[in-house]
Amino acid sequence: MADADEDAVRGTTVEATQIEVDLSDETQDFRLLNHLNFLTDTSSSSLPRRGEKDFEPNPTEFQADVLSASRQAMHNALAHPRLHNPKNQVIAIYAPEGPPPPPPVPPGQDPGKTSGRGASVSPDACVYVPSPKGQYFKNMGQADRKGVIWLLPEEALYLLERGSLDIRWPTSITGGTVEEGSEEEELSIPMSLQAAYACFIGRGGLTLERFTVFSSLKRIGYAISRAPGWDDSSSVEDSADEDSRNAYTQPVTRGAGLAGILGSIFNWINDPKSTSSTAAGPVIGYGIHRNYSDIYKKLAQIPWHDPTTLPTRNPLSTKPPYRVILHVFKPSTFIKKSALPPPDFRIAVINTREATTIPTLPELSALLESTPLDPPKGEKMDRQMYLRLRHGYRNVILAVVDQGVTSFLRVADVAFGRERLYESVGGSLGPKKAGNFRKKKR
Amino acid sequence: MESTPTLPIPISYVSGRYLLFSIDAVTYLRREHNICGVLIGTLPQIPQQNVFLGLPLELMPEEARVLVDKGVACIVDEAKAHDGMRSLLEEDRRQYLRDLESQGQLATRILADRKDQLREQSLKEIDEKKAKGLAAKAAKAAQAAADAQIAASSAPASTEKDESSSIFAAEDEMSSLSRTTGTSTPAPQQTMGITPTTSYPPLPHPVSSSGQYLPKPKVPLSYPLFAHLHSRGYFLSPGLRFGCQYVAYPGDPLRFHSHFVVVSAEWDQEMDLMDIVNGGRLGTGVKKGFLLGGPQKRRDEVESEADRIETVRTFSIEWAGM
Amino acid sequence: MTTQQTQLPSLEPSALTKLIESASASGNPLAATTIQILHNLQHQHLWTSLEIHDISTDSIASDAPPTLISGIPPHRIYTHPDEQLYMLEKGIAEDDLRPERLFVIPTAQGQTWSLRRMAAAFDSLAAIEESSVSEEAMSTSESVDSEKAKKLDEYYEKKEMAKETKEWGTRRALLAMTNRGMGGEGTVVYYVVQEGEVKPRQN
Repeated sequence: MADADEDAVRGTTVEATQIEVDLSDETQDFRLLNHLNFLTDTSSSSLPRRGEKDFEPNPTEFQADVLSASRQAMHNALAHPRLHNPKNQVIAIYAPEGPPPPPPVPPGQDPGKTSGRGASVSPDACVYVPSPKGQYFKNMGQADRKGVIWLLPEEALYLLERGSLDIRWPTSITGGTVEEGSEEEELSIPMSLQAAYACFIGRGGLTLERFTVFSSLKRIGYAISRAPGWDDSSSVEDSADEDSRNAYTQPVTRGAGLAGILGSIFNWINDPKSTSSTAAGPVIGYGIHRNYSDIYKKLAQIPWHDPTTLPTRNPLSTKPPYRVILHVFKPSTFIKKSALPPPDFRIAVINTREATTIPTLPELSALLESTPLDPPKGEKMDRQMYLRLRHGYRNVILAVVDQGVTSFLRVADVAFGRERLYESVGGSLGPKKAGNFRKKKR
Repeated sequence: MESTPTLPIPISYVSGRYLLFSIDAVTYLRREHNICGVLIGTLPQIPQQNVFLGLPLELMPEEARVLVDKGVACIVDEAKAHDGMRSLLEEDRRQYLRDLESQGQLATRILADRKDQLREQSLKEIDEKKAKGLAAKAAKAAQAAADAQIAASSAPASTEKDESSSIFAAEDEMSSLSRTTGTSTPAPQQTMGITPTTSYPPLPHPVSSSGQYLPKPKVPLSYPLFAHLHSRGYFLSPGLRFGCQYVAYPGDPLRFHSHFVVVSAEWDQEMDLMDIVNGGRLGTGVKKGFLLGGPQKRRDEVESEADRIETVRTFSIEWAGM
Repeated sequence: MTTQQTQLPSLEPSALTKLIESASASGNPLAATTIQILHNLQHQHLWTSLEIHDISTDSIASDAPPTLISGIPPHRIYTHPDEQLYMLEKGIAEDDLRPERLFVIPTAQGQTWSLRRMAAAFDSLAAIEESSVSEEAMSTSESVDSEKAKKLDEYYEKKEMAKETKEWGTRRALLAMTNRGMGGEGTVVYYVVQEGEVKPRQN
């Protein structure tokens, strides 16, 4: 490590002297001082570059050198400090008791400029920003009556971790007398990354897995809000909507179910000569068949699952972890915090160490039923059957987290039965009359 | 030259998970104990991507357990440790804030120097003479910073007090030097704020204090296989990407491809032969072996998990290609 | 399916069915698996010198399949990556080498399996191998020139050493599986199993 620092330091303005520093006697402070040198030097603070990997270790010095260079680069990248330029420093304060009683807005602050006055603040919020500025509060945080922005633990931790928020311990915890004429935050102790994890993870239902999913999506630009199912203990009783309190509903099937068969018998009794006779005789009945579609329709004896006929289930009647806990919005979606649009994605977070098997059909069905009908639409989907099949009629994303490694899986309810292949005979699988899909648009 | 952190290394237990925040601990455990963990944090210098992540490092309970069993690490209840923020001495608190401030000033200073340097470089092509003048200036400034650091590093760092006072001295020296060199001294209000990575200081190092560690991490039934492979020099990481329990690397994953997708089973645990086909086919498809193994003893047959590790037997499986 | 001949009265039983019927009169249900796999090795993969080893009496192998199969494949099934490297460096082709007997563990889909069974099969395999040493030592090819013969001798010497050091892999067997359920159309799949951690082949 020491070599890494030194190598990187060479060629900088402070080169002559850094080498003399004995880094084996490192403490937190010296490390930080050392790594400050990389702040604006893009060549050394750049990402570790792996290059080609080898199959197995061999005793060559070359391999050892490449490995140690990789490790040094990693070390340097990880040691990068979180600095706040006073010009755009945003200070927040940790409120272990949560809202509501934030200290009065410091004088000189214009409480009128923030919108969302009177908006309710989540009881899980635990960090407040007395004078919010910058881009991050456009889709994060909730303003209270005084215009103070309150952040949920995941929002606060994410912002601190990316170096965009300077969170302070409240003086109620760390003590300290406010000196004359000085603002409170100048005497407050900055919260370390470690402290932020210790205080925020485990708070208000925020597991480490949920946080890693949250931050990995935030990093690449998505806006995220907690879904009603965030609280594992919340159930249907807590919500006004009692319609779908029943447990797993039997899959509704279409085509010739029992009713369908009874129906055709009934038809046959009424009109024994009709082609719909199945009780006695060939499956497709006697009579003249003028086109294949008629025949195929009659042959459709096997019940199939039609997701469009399912009642939408209350999201709270699902069982964690197979429950939507995050609503995710594409970066292009316009977000108004006080009136969120319907989310672009719904996410359930699953920890592989707690749920070691794949979900059961009832678990997965309940999860899908708790999402709104989202039929394939658009010109492209109308044209291409495979796109329709892939898109499905309801969908949800499972974020599976295994000890810090996350995989996102999209699960969709597919309606093969709705795709009448016999209607597109000769017309390939491409363009197709799509009227019945348009109608289903919500 | 490579540093060894004070042992045992405190592993932060946060809401049921095992985390490391100290870069030295992370580098040391990787280098000396083949423990990689998974980086889960945002890198502040490049926060808008998911390819390269930063601290903290999440450890599997198995990794934490191996380290605790080796006596290299101990488990600290981090939420509890941070209750210590309530009992900071007024003097320590002020001292810590002064330390942070001096670091912030130095950061500001170095950034300014770097800016100068960059400007100097760009001017160089235009005006050689001018650039030379600036360089001399920059070198002078650098000498100043260096002197400060030497002063700081040569001071005994045995106790917290000594250490902080030495930094304080460094700060003094630096500010006086900046006056003499006549470069633009950053005004106090422009000092960089710092979000430290760890809480030690201001909290006393958990190993030196009280020594109240949490018990050894609870581990899954696959732990003996994990420990067996780890003891044979393999680097292991979570297996989600390959649908297995662990991925085993013959060396540091930074440099080497993995050799095995690993699945553990108990000795008499009934398995479907199809699982062997699945694993064998999957492994071969990604040029890896499928490693199936487990301890011959059940948990109720031994006194400790360590006794199971010695009884592990493994089998490497590849598609025969026929 | 192959054994349920009575339910298909209109069809003539296949040759394989007849073979299994006649050979598995012992009443051991697993014998049918062994015969089927032996048949597959012999006719689909053209193995020779096939043998069936009864290991059901070994006390050590009470959990293992009652039989093992061994035979000589027409081409090498497995070469350890380091062995391959050695051969490449010495200019030895696979065809230069005398054929090797390989063991096969016969199993059928749906059969219960466990690490204990796998280990038991390997333990009996070890016992059999030790009792039948150097059966192949005499069958060295005569037509090679002296230089090649020297190389091959070095190779066999190295191979003996590698057996001790396990640097060219460990004791190995093929795990053969027939499919039984879902109609059982007679497919047999083969996996190379080696004891311990043996690095994968790279091709």
